[in-house]
Amino acid sequence: MTTSEALTKPKMTIDGQVVEFEPGDTIMRAAERARVDKTIPRFCYHPGLPVAGTCRMCAVEVEKAPKLMTACSTPAADGMVVLTQSDRVRKSRSGVMEMLLANHPLDCPVCDQAGECSLQDYSYEYGPSKSEFKEDKRVWKEATTKALSERLTLNMNRCIHCERCVRFTEDVTKTNELLMDNRGWHKELTTALDEGMFNEYQGNVADICPVGAITFNDFRFQKRVWFLKEKVGICDGCAKGCSIYADEEKGTVHRYRARFNAEVNKHWICDEGRMSFHRYQNAERVIHPLLSASGSLNATTWETVVPWLLSEMKKARRILLLIGTDASSEEAATIAQMLPSFSSADFVVRSWNGTNGVQSSVDDAALDHLLRRRDHTSNTRGIESLGIKPWNSATEQNFDLAIYFRCGRATLPPVMAQKEIAWGVFDLPEIQRFAAVLPGLSTLEKFGTYTNCDQVTQSFEIVVKGPGGTASVRKVLDGMKLKSSTPVREVVRDTI
Amino acid sequence: MVQVEKLLTQHNDVEGSHTIDVYRSLGGYKALEKALAMTPESIVDEVKKSNLRGRGGAGFPTGMKWSFMPKAPTFPDGRPKPKYLVCNADEGEPGTFKDRLLMTKHPHMLIEGMIVAAHAIGASRGFIYIRGEFVFETKRVEDAIVEARKMGLLGTKVSGTDWSFDLVVYRGAGAYICGEETALLNSLEGKRGEPRLKPPFPAMVGAFGMPTCVNNVETFCAVPTIINDGAAKFASVGTERSGGTRLFCVSGEIEKPGVYELPINVNLNDLIAHCGGVLGGKKLKAVIPGGASAPMLSAAETDVAMDFDSLAKAGTMAGSGGVIVISEDTCIVEVAARLLKFYEHESCGQCSQCREGSHWLARMFHRIEIGQGTEADLNAIAGICSNMAGQTICAFSDAVTGPALSSVRKFRHEFEEHVRLKRCPCKPEGHVPKHDHHASATL
Ligand SMILES: Cc1cc2nc3c(=O)[nH]c(=O)nc-3n(C[C@H](O)[C@H](O)[C@H](O)COP(=O)(O)O)c2cc1C
Ligand code: SF4
Ligand code: SF4
Ligand code: FES
Repeated sequence: MTTSEALTKPKMTIDGQVVEFEPGDTIMRAAERARVDKTIPRFCYHPGLPVAGTCRMCAVEVEKAPKLMTACSTPAADGMVVLTQSDRVRKSRSGVMEMLLANHPLDCPVCDQAGECSLQDYSYEYGPSKSEFKEDKRVWKEATTKALSERLTLNMNRCIHCERCVRFTEDVTKTNELLMDNRGWHKELTTALDEGMFNEYQGNVADICPVGAITFNDFRFQKRVWFLKEKVGICDGCAKGCSIYADEEKGTVHRYRARFNAEVNKHWICDEGRMSFHRYQNAERVIHPLLSASGSLNATTWETVVPWLLSEMKKARRILLLIGTDASSEEAATIAQMLPSFSSADFVVRSWNGTNGVQSSVDDAALDHLLRRRDHTSNTRGIESLGIKPWNSATEQNFDLAIYFRCGRATLPPVMAQKEIAWGVFDLPEIQRFAAVLPGLSTLEKFGTYTNCDQVTQSFEIVVKGPGGTASVRKVLDGMKLKSSTPVREVVRDTI
Repeated sequence: MVQVEKLLTQHNDVEGSHTIDVYRSLGGYKALEKALAMTPESIVDEVKKSNLRGRGGAGFPTGMKWSFMPKAPTFPDGRPKPKYLVCNADEGEPGTFKDRLLMTKHPHMLIEGMIVAAHAIGASRGFIYIRGEFVFETKRVEDAIVEARKMGLLGTKVSGTDWSFDLVVYRGAGAYICGEETALLNSLEGKRGEPRLKPPFPAMVGAFGMPTCVNNVETFCAVPTIINDGAAKFASVGTERSGGTRLFCVSGEIEKPGVYELPINVNLNDLIAHCGGVLGGKKLKAVIPGGASAPMLSAAETDVAMDFDSLAKAGTMAGSGGVIVISEDTCIVEVAARLLKFYEHESCGQCSQCREGSHWLARMFHRIEIGQGTEADLNAIAGICSNMAGQTICAFSDAVTGPALSSVRKFRHEFEEHVRLKRCPCKPEGHVPKHDHHASATL
């Protein structure tokens, strides 16, 4: 093979557009790769699952083939000519839609999937406007809904039998928890065990169910999806740092969904991560500055707490700055450089992780064959790359002041000094031991970068505003600069 | 009068025909001896020349199917891949009961045919997938396999050659769809009996991922006679494109129902006459010529040869050889409703159109049968069928449309009568049909 031959990719024509494809592509993959104008409708096909080719919705016309071919399963071939919008194709789609809608309850007004339902969308685009179907619809004798587990609810009447869910537990989690009972029209989705599903990735099943048959209890009936704004983010639930969409309305995040990232999480996220945003929207979170006076912590203002902090730092001779491995790289770099400049004390900067006994990335490990990690903080690698070492609580002692900065995932360290200050994301039950709390921002409320367990660095953006009186690291340091009587020693990177 | 030339079932009435001793005394296993001395290619050639076409339903030329098997397939690391041979003994098509006769009376003919075929395609192992309800037939085949093994015809070093081949019997669990060859392979592997997407075809990725050839019982049983007496003799019966005899399973309203071995291109009228004519001398109304999936022929259309091509030209199919005779006294709407009930029950349910459509049709036909149909229903049938045909993973969905479309097209007046009278005109008033499974859609 000459070099020029090796460089020419095979080509095909889709709806008159000549597109290149990779050997091994199906028509569907080729069309996705080339981003042809009109996506080919699909129910059973999902890029993260094995091809089933059963729903028949993706059938397209292939020149010289007598029958329509399913785009999801038919290999692309050099010189192939494909029509995805011809009359024959549209008739076939409308035929599939008529069949699928025949026994569907059409209960969109009370269905959680409405607004992001493939059946609804395709019905609008391809469905017949009326149906000849006059029989009684299929109704399952059990209650309308049943629990597949504590996390998932099934409404079998809405199921279109694409079996994405079945293939997910077969192929992705390899737990084989779901199967179809019976045959044909009587096929009923059920769990293999009476106890229900048990895998740690169940939310994905709700994500990939194209209709409202399987819904995730944590989000079920919480919000009509058309009110939600889709924001891109990273899950900070563990050292994997899966890419997510955080769907938000008026400052409140209502759910996380997996966002495709070939390098990190492919199409999936775990359930713990999926529900981890609640961590930052809980009533116990400290969202106003607190300062101790006569043995108890009282609400205060930034105006009071910042000068207080400066004076404490001036008084101290030996200070420990402990940075949680859940801080963003920018936050960690900034405070590690800036904070010592406000004091002439002996400053020791260390990191703290503490989740599941993890102190550094060496202690981290995969919890299963998919995504979950032992390390429940999101930036251990990032903090390490800044040269900040884990704190050895046994040998590094004798501080008269300790400032612990963390963002809600790193655990509470053992006692660091006589006087301890909490900075960042803390809950009420955690703060008894601290002399002051400076409420900071969680992943949802700032931008920055995390470096995950596999050294993949990703940035994330602001999803919602920080609640109450929470403030960014940048704002706090700016305040300290203003209040400080001594000039600041150096200028740091212009980040948070 | 039809010409009666039997190539497979001439010894039906010989006592003990299922035992190896009797089978051998009648010339059995001579073909194997002969075949083992032939090259695989020349066996395939001989079968090609015989114009034998698969008796399972699709009528695919058998020699050609065998020649599609890869010669020396290997795994990516270079090790040779085993090849498998599978006998489809699922015989589920309503109106079909020839394979069970062959297995009952001539299990060694099947075994001999399979060993010859295995030699021709280089298979190391054969599977016989037998319909679950065939308990007796399974025992017959298993006993025969034990006999053949004892004689050194199966197992390591078949008949003293260097080649090893053995047979495994696998019992189905009662699903019609497991007769479809790729559903059969899934079932054989212990998976759900659902047809596979093709390509890849079984010749490339078959049982347990290995190249596999699937043939019907009767197809294998035709092999010994082709090898023994030569392809020319077999090909001299039948048509140029379809050789030999066929076992016709004649049932329904016929004087002498049964399995009849006749030239494959026998005329349907002659076949009916040969079986004693319509039961009680009644007038013929319709014939289903090739198992339930074959569109019905009206009485006016029965002057037709029964080979694959002639029946295809007549708008129906030769299918599995199940000939169901329907007299003037039988209600076509009831026949169609009953057949559709079968398909509704047997669709594997993977494909949207087949799963929902087969049920829709069954319910609609039932409604029409009990007098609750409308003219609009009759007009909707063609549309439903056009959504179902030619759009699915396997031919089942097409098969459903066979009885649905042909009955309403050819006997529309009967359907209209049901609509007009709001009951079945063939039944006394107030009659409730036996198979009223559709009273409620609640599962
Ligand atoms: C729904 C369906 C059911 C079938 N059932 C049978 C069967 O019971 N027995 C059989 O031999 N072939 C059956 N077939 C045909 C097989 O798929 C296959 O074509 C056949 O076994 C090949 O053997 P042959 O080439 O010897 O005919 C069926 C096909 C379909 C689509
Ligand atoms: S529950 Fe959803 S994903 Fe599962 S088969 Fe039904 S429609 Fe498909
Ligand atoms: S056509 Fe029917 S029987 Fe065949 S695979 Fe599809 S659903 Fe199953
Ligand atoms: S998406 Fe191709 S058949 Fe379902």
